[in-house]
Parts: sequence; C-alpha cells; structure tokens
Amino acid sequence: MPNFSNGLHKLSNPHVLSRSLTKPKLLPMIFTCFTMLQKYSLFAAALLAISAAQAQTINIRTIAAQMKYDVEEFTVIPGAEVKLILENGDDLPHNLVIFDAGTDVLAVVSKNMEKPEEALKRDWLPDSPAVLAHTKMAGPKTREEVVFKAPTKAGLYPFACTFPGHTQSMQGKMKVGTPGPGLTGLKFAVYNGEWSKLPDFATLKPHREGDIADNLVQLKFDDYKNQFGVVYTSKLNAPRDAEYVFSIGADDGARLLVDGNKVVELDGSHSVAEIKDGKIALKTGEHDFRLEYFQGTGEAQIFVAWRGGDFAATPLSKWVPPTWGGDVKKAKTDGGAKMPLIVGNEPVIYRNFISGAGNRGIGVGYPGGVNLAWSAEQLNLVMVWRGGFIDTARHWVDRGGGAQGPLGYDVFQPVSGLSQPFAVLASTDEEWPRTNKQWADGYKWKGYKLDAKRYPTFLYEWEGVKVSDRYDVVGDTAKGEVKLIRTLKLDGKIPANAYLRLGFGASITPEGGGFLVSNGRLSLDKRDFQNAFRIAADGAQIGGKNLLIPARAEMKITYAWPTDTVKH
Amino acid sequence: MKTLSIISVLFLTTSLAFAADKESDFYKITTFETPKETAMEVSSIELLPGDKLALGTRRGEIWTVSNAKGDPSQVKYQLFASGQHEVMGLAWKDGALYETNRYEVAKLTDDDGDGRADTFATMSDQWGVSGDYHEYAFGSRFDKNGDLWVVLCLTGSFSSNIDFRGWAMRIKPDGTMVPTCSGIRSPAGLGFDADGEVYYADNQGPWHGASTVQHLIPGSFQGHPGGNKWYPKAPNMGQRPPDPKDNSRMVTERERIKELVPPVAYMVHGKIGNSTSFICCDLSKGKFGPFQKQLFVADQSFSNVSRLFVEEVNGIKQAAVFPFLSGFKSGLIGGRMSEEGQLFAGGSDRGWGAKGGKPFCFERVDWTGKVPFEVHEMRAKPDGFELTFTEPVDPTSAGDVASYKGREFTYSYRAQYGGPEIADVIPKITSAVVAPDNKSVRLTFDVLTKGHIHELHFDGVKSADGKPVLHPIAYYTLNEIPAK
Repeated sequence: MPNFSNGLHKLSNPHVLSRSLTKPKLLPMIFTCFTMLQKYSLFAAALLAISAAQAQTINIRTIAAQMKYDVEEFTVIPGAEVKLILENGDDLPHNLVIFDAGTDVLAVVSKNMEKPEEALKRDWLPDSPAVLAHTKMAGPKTREEVVFKAPTKAGLYPFACTFPGHTQSMQGKMKVGTPGPGLTGLKFAVYNGEWSKLPDFATLKPHREGDIADNLVQLKFDDYKNQFGVVYTSKLNAPRDAEYVFSIGADDGARLLVDGNKVVELDGSHSVAEIKDGKIALKTGEHDFRLEYFQGTGEAQIFVAWRGGDFAATPLSKWVPPTWGGDVKKAKTDGGAKMPLIVGNEPVIYRNFISGAGNRGIGVGYPGGVNLAWSAEQLNLVMVWRGGFIDTARHWVDRGGGAQGPLGYDVFQPVSGLSQPFAVLASTDEEWPRTNKQWADGYKWKGYKLDAKRYPTFLYEWEGVKVSDRYDVVGDTAKGEVKLIRTLKLDGKIPANAYLRLGFGASITPEGGGFLVSNGRLSLDKRDFQNAFRIAADGAQIGGKNLLIPARAEMKITYAWPTDTVKH
Repeated sequence: MKTLSIISVLFLTTSLAFAADKESDFYKITTFETPKETAMEVSSIELLPGDKLALGTRRGEIWTVSNAKGDPSQVKYQLFASGQHEVMGLAWKDGALYETNRYEVAKLTDDDGDGRADTFATMSDQWGVSGDYHEYAFGSRFDKNGDLWVVLCLTGSFSSNIDFRGWAMRIKPDGTMVPTCSGIRSPAGLGFDADGEVYYADNQGPWHGASTVQHLIPGSFQGHPGGNKWYPKAPNMGQRPPDPKDNSRMVTERERIKELVPPVAYMVHGKIGNSTSFICCDLSKGKFGPFQKQLFVADQSFSNVSRLFVEEVNGIKQAAVFPFLSGFKSGLIGGRMSEEGQLFAGGSDRGWGAKGGKPFCFERVDWTGKVPFEVHEMRAKPDGFELTFTEPVDPTSAGDVASYKGREFTYSYRAQYGGPEIADVIPKITSAVVAPDNKSVRLTFDVLTKGHIHELHFDGVKSADGKPVLHPIAYYTLNEIPAK
C-alpha cells in the first residue's frame, strides 16, 4: 500500500491531507475511488489532473506609456478557478474586462459613450451581459485582482481595457482550452542520499517503491523531508503526432525524460521559482515518462506540466506554482520606455530623427497627453499620437543612430506621411504634388516661436505668403476625451486655387459636421496602428482621396480620435 | 645588501618624482557640478555678456551658466533652450545666440527676458541630412567678416549621401549659404587664430592617417574626396579637382591637386590623441600664461588639450604640436577661452570612449601664475629648427646635440582607414647653438623631409635652474621647408 494521500479530497482544503495521513483507515476507500477513475478514458484522467490543480494565477502588466498589456493571450482550463492579477505600471488608469467569446469588444465598449456620465459612474465598465469577469479600474501604478471561474466551453474570450480610447490597443484573448491527458500507472521509487546534484539513480537501490493512486506527481511522503530522491515513472499518451512542451519546477533538482530522452532539466539546488520548458516531438500513442528528483534540505517541491498538440497546458503534478500562468503568450514589447521625456505643464520639444517624420522632424509633447511630429522638411504636421511622448534612449545612449517612433498609442498620420501642406490645384480631384524629400518646393522653413506657456508656433513661407501653424490641446487623455486644435494663419497674397490638405485616406466619411478619415494600417517601429482620425474644419471638402480646404487667412482644424465622441 | 640597494634606488626614484614639476603646478583643472536632471554632454561653449557662458549639449539643450569664472561652488545654471537636434556650435552676437544644430543655423532670442529662448529663427537649413547619425554639423562663432562657418561630417566615413556632406560652408548674415571648402571627413571643432583665420579639427579615418588640425582656406580641398560630387552644386568653387591617388603621400598629391591644402598639424595618433575636437586661441594677452596667440586643441578620446605653435611658410600654415594638459574628466568636445584667460572645456564619452572616465563633464582651466619650462615656439628653418623656451636654458645641456633626438615620418595618404607611421627617417642633429640670451636654440639637421612630421625629443635640455622641460616632445608637420 503506497503511503500516499490522494488529491481529490484535498482540493478545497489542503489541511485534510495531513490529517488523512494520520488516519490510515481512510486510505483503502480512497484508493478504490481512484482505481475506478483510472478505468475511465484518458479524458477522465486528464480531468482528474486538472481538478487537482490549484487556482490558476494569471499575471498581466500594463506597459508604461505604450497602451498595451504585456500578455497577448493566456489559456485556462474549462471551469477552473482563475486568479487574475493586473499590475498597472502605466500613468493612466486601466482595467481588464473579459468578454464572452465572439463579442465585438469595440462595439460594446463604444456604447459607454452613449451615456458617458453613467459609464463614468461604473468606472467605464460596459453595461453588457457580454462581460464575464473584470478587475476594478486600476489607478496608475496600482494593482487589482479578480478571481473567477473559467467558462466551461472551450473558445477564445477577448479581454480589453474599457477606459475611453484604450480599447483599440489594449486587447488580448483568454483561451479556454481542452486539457491534455494525464499520467497513467504512475509509480515512485524513493532513494535516500545526500546530494547537491541529481545522482545516477540507476546505480542506486530504492529505499521504497509503490504506486501513486491519483497519478499526480507529488512529494507528500510522511517520513521524508530532507536528503532523499524520487524517480517517478509512468505512461504518457500523446494524442497525436506533434511537438509537446514540458514545464518543470523543482526545489531542489529535477530532470524529465521521455522514452529515455532528456527533455528538460533543472539540476542543482535552487528554489522552485524558476520554471523551465523543454520540447520533444512525440508520435501518437504511449510513451515512457520518467521524472527524477532530489531534495537536499529546506523547502521541497516538484512541479511538472505539459502542453502541445491541441490541448492547453495541463499540470501532471499535484502542486502547481502560484505564479504559473500555464500557456501565456507575451505581447511583443521592448520592455517599455527606458528614457522617456516626461511632459509636465509645458510642451516639450524634441528635435531628432523621429520615425515617420523625416530627417528634420520636430516632436512636441503637449500637456493633456497629446503629441505630434512636425516636419521642417515639408513644413507640415506629419503625425499625431497620445499617451507617452517619446523615448530618448535610442538617441541619448551610445552614438544615437536611427529614428525613434512615438512612445504612446493611437498614432495617426493625417496625410499619410511626408507631404507639403499647401498646393495650387486646377481641380480638387487633382493629385497632390509629390514630395520633394529634402525640402518642399516653394517653401522656406523659418523656425518657430514659443509663447509665454511655451507652446510653439511653426513658421514658414510659401510662395511669398508667411504662414504660422500652431496647436492647442483641449481635454486630457488621462481623463478621457481629448482633441487637437490646429490654427493656421496666412499673411500675404494667397495664390488662387490654393488648398490646404487636411487629410488623406482610402475612406473619408462625413459625420456630424466633420469627417472620419481612415487609411488602413500604419506601421511604425514594428508597432501597428489604425491610421484613422476625426477631423473638422470650416469649408473642408472631399476631393478624391484628399480632404481639402481652400486656403484662407485663418483656418482652424480639429483632430480627434474615432474612439472618442468629440463635439466639434 | 641587495635589498638595501633596491630600496635606495626606489627611494631615489620616488623622491625625484616628487620633486618633478607636474602639469597641475601650472594649470589647474576645476570640475563643475552640473544639474542633476541632465547629462551635461557639452558639445559647444560660448561666452555671453555679464560674465555668463552658454553650453550647448549633445542632448540638444542650451544652458546659460553664471559665476563660472569665479568660485565653482557658486556656479548657477539656467536652461535656455531644449529639444534641439545636437548643439555643436554656439555664437553670440548683438543679443542673440546662434546655434548650429544638425540641420540648421538658427538665431535664438529671449524676447521676454525670462532667461529662456522664445524665438528660434532659422537662418540657413540648406545642407542635406540623410538620417545617418554620423552626419554631425559643427558650427563656428562669427568670423572677422561676420559669417558663421559650418563643417559637415560625411555620411559615415567614406561617402557623402546628401548635399554637401564633407564640406565647409559659410553662412552669410542674410542666411545665404556659401560652399567654401570640400574634402572634410569627420570634423569635431572649429576655431580661429589670432588673425581670424579659420581652422577645423578632423578625425583619423580614410585619407587621414591621424587626426588633424586644418586651415580652411576658401576654395580649398581639405583632403577627403568623398564629398567632391557636390562641386556641380557649388559653381563658386570652380571645377571639381582631381581625386587624390590612393596610397600616395600628401606631399605628392599637393603637386597634382592645386586646391589640396595639407593639414596644419597631424595630431599624431595614439600619442597626441585619437580624436581631435575644439580649437581655441589664447587671446588673453598673457592671462593664460606665456603662450599668447597659440592654439589650444582638445582631444575627445584622450581627454586632453595640446598646444599648437602655428607659422606660415611659403603661404602654407604648419604647426608644432606639444602636449599641454591632460586629466580632463571626460572626452572633450566643446571649448572656449575667455579674455580673462580661462579655458572652459566640456564633453562626453558617449559612443566613443574617453580616457577621462566620466560620461560627461564641464570644466575650467586656470593658469596658476607659474610659468612652466617648455618649448615656447618651434620654427622651421632651411636646415633644421629653432626652439625658443619659456625660460632661459642651461647653455651646456641645451647646446649639446646629445640632448636632442629626432625622427621624421609620415602617413600614407590613402582611402583605407587610418594607417601606421611610415617612411621613417632618423636625422642626425648636427649642431645645437644657444642664442646669447639663452632663450632659444638653433638646431641643424643633416636632413629635413618635406611633408613629414618631425618628431623632436629634448629630454636632455635643462633650464638655467636645472629643470627638465615639462613636455620634452614636439611634432612639427613640415609641409614646407623655408628658403631662409
């Protein structure tokens, strides 16, 4: 009779375990229960493994100033208890809301804006049955956690931040995955010895051997605490020909072999904090599983799980590290800003190589969380974004080569790149003049002036006309809606048929007195953005793919984001 | 017994070392604290009215500094401007500060008197910028004609990808840009001599066996042909000169290329420095010591300053280079000497390491009032050199040819990066005649080699009171041998 306890009864209360060990009379009954289960299909064994697992913990961070979660996708087991921890490292508030599979998240979230005052009272949590679970709105540099029961139905469940303007870039997926098979016929052999590395167990004589009824690798030996080793052997059924990933964690050392091949090893004495993965391709069918383990002194723990083929990460051990998230896909990120320029109560100017803004780009970060890049080559607004301004590390560390893109999010380029602001057109359908890469023809850069609040006004001349181009921010990104107001003033004789190009897009749709301009995807520094914005200006008109306005002495243009509801 | 003698030798050596003069006995470096919120990577320095200074930095900031001429603990900084694309040149004129940044010369003014720049008026932005980090633009102060000079680094080391990379330009007061010299490689500083002639520092690389100090004569070709394709855009410069032949000699190619101006001085690589930067002329009328009107030239890599005595022979500038002062805290880039004879210097080691060891620095050099025993001037003569000293010499040692050792070498003038010292000639010093006032010595050599760097050691020379020369070495770039 193996001197093991089993998992089922102890799931809810681990203290039962130690008690059961002192009451051997209970064991025969439990054992019977297990043998019955073992007769079930592999799936039953798998269920056994899963139900034995503790609550699965998922850790998700928000990346400072990037409007991003650090996790793209995580996997949970149907019906499992999931503890989700949201660490908000950003300067803006964020939540994490999990929606039902198939939910159009943007559509649900945008309903908030129909009654924003009420949505604000709910901390921007959508009032929708599609919300399955959610954290509270986490303030800047705080954390929130939520415990919920995973859906029982396999599928992809979207999650998102529902703060206004955040949803588009702060999304991910929770995968509810079918668990994989568990171990069958698990045996143990315990060895006594004092080791600092895994010994060659083949040359040693086991002190004790036996079966593990619940087929979960575990360490609860009543009389072994220090200086012992265990070899677990079992059969493992690969559901199909595929590559499988095994994860182990051990305090102290462990090594996993399948069919005699080492898959992953964590030798030597260390804590269980490190989880290591190893891969192996397996053919459909039964394989030999062998896990070798040793304990020196102090804490003792063993963890093993596998995933692959078409099933989710499945623990094969009774104990699961609390930090183990299972199958977690990290978002692509450079780890966040290293030397961000912080915008306080004055605009901050950054002249350097800015991705998408040519070689004479001028970045301006405005209070209110709106930023722009203006080109001193084309004398025009090139790019607008919100959130973080710019990370200077590329230019201020080492020699400083290359161009740096925006730090924030929701980037759009009104005229899709570098282009001159004004042109004389015979008709509004005429193609806009092509860019002269270094200096726009007929233009002369004159510099800029800062006002008392340090807001820049860009100055240039076009065909003898003195032009000033200035920007103001209304609202605050951190509080929700925000818009950018551009004021152009022309001093001099404006040529006939002169137009200012406000926007360029594959789609320009009139809406609410303005236009929604969209020009597909914008890729900058390996990040993708929706090149879409709202724009309004008196006299704006569509001409082909251009949004134009006849040049006049003073022009005011409002730029806003499609995810915000802006009253022009 | 043996041990004893070793100890006594050690003792002797140590006591001698203690007795010897040090640079710091004559010139003292003061390191200023700089504002914690920034990295003061000084790349340009200008003097402002009211005993103030302006510092331009690689991070694109311009700081004004008060009290930098006095007690260093009283120094105060104010951020005048920020967000500029590297400030590699600053010039003050009539209430405005002119900055040279990566793609323009702009006039900065503080319109409301709060100490911060409000107007950034572009004067000229007519040179090309391709986006390559190497394309630095260094700017000068106003020259004697009221023009600003800008030297434009090539796109990297070899080529010129966009307008006028590898050229020196003049910016006229109305903003007109005049292409002025071709042949620039990788400049790191501009300066004037006492007559207002313009010099720039170039760095070791292709067509540069060593870093150099060069004389910017309008219309000249400075030696690196990488940017010569822009001649058609510079009609004032005439026809494009022929490219130099690879693996040739500067002295040979000067015969072929009439526009080619040889370096005023080779800053001998690995000895004087590795990366020449600012150029300052001592116009303090003696307040910086005995080296009036000489040039003080810094090195980024060596974190030091060397001294150049420049003379003109057959219409060509050439100079003797002497070590001057080492021990600056970081790689020197920006420098400026005040009329009061204080040399302000600063820099950074970012991207290119520096001996100083600190990531950036802002420092001041003051003359202590003590005159070091040094070779003051070294002039070329038809058959040798004339050395004058800062103090009377001991006629016996100074008059002994054995006190001197010469070597003549050059670098290959080649497209390949850098290069070794080649074509060594070891001259025989045939006579050393001390002048009656004991202030100068006339040396005759059995051979002088035109175009070679003449390395001269004078370790044996003693002052009248028995001191050795503080820096007993000079490198003279003998572009021309005088007829008399």
